Amino acid sequence: MSEEKQYRKVKVTAGKRGWGGPLVIEPKPDKPYIYCVTGGGIHPIAQRIADLTGGEAFDGFKSKRDFSEIAVAVIDCGGTARIGVYPMKGVLTIDIHATKPSGPLFRFIKAENFVSGVGPDDIQLID
Amino acid sequence: MIKFEGRVTAIGPYVSEFIDAGILVLFGQGAPEELAEFAILHDGTTLQGELRAGDTVCVDEACFQVLAVGEVAGANLSNLGHLVLKFNGEHEVEMPGDVCVEAGRIPEVIIGTIIRVEG
Repeated sequence: MSEEKQYRKVKVTAGKRGWGGPLVIEPKPDKPYIYCVTGGGIHPIAQRIADLTGGEAFDGFKSKRDFSEIAVAVIDCGGTARIGVYPMKGVLTIDIHATKPSGPLFRFIKAENFVSGVGPDDIQLID
Repeated sequence: MIKFEGRVTAIGPYVSEFIDAGILVLFGQGAPEELAEFAILHDGTTLQGELRAGDTVCVDEACFQVLAVGEVAGANLSNLGHLVLKFNGEHEVEMPGDVCVEAGRIPEVIIGTIIRVEG
């Protein structure tokens, strides 16, 4: 039997001006991806979550995975479009910017699936 | 000076949800499919200078004065071709990605429409 990759969990809390959460991010063998939808490569927040959990960060502007394989989406949304699309698709969502539920898709954004204003210190490893 | 120009290449099936709310959402080429569904895609790539209140946004020949620019709107446009245009007449943005322009009916956007920012 091949060795199975071990993943760890992180707790992500809202930053000072942020909203929502906390979320527990737990990549799994069939859900390993940290989906970075910020452009300009892998954002440091997505990279930090990948490093801590053992998940695999990928750039949504370069490649694609099924939503069912995505442990969390990291966005830098200004509050209208991306903020609602990933919660609507059933994907846990971290916004780097300190946004609150807004935009035409605001009804999908809940404290259980969304956290915002997240900086590096708002991500902690848990057992 | 033309600060940004793009030709519309695709219109997502759910763009009307945003238009009904008085919002146009633009993304550049290469936007993931789930964003393209809600957006107008265009081939513009380069932002010259900074996006500022007082600029003009034109959708073909229909032009609107920019009244307010959110703190991340310029970076969004520059990095992703992403622009959130709110036709609400507000002089202060509600969200950091917003660009508020004069209130008015949103012009028709079709494939080939030119979207331009001048300033």
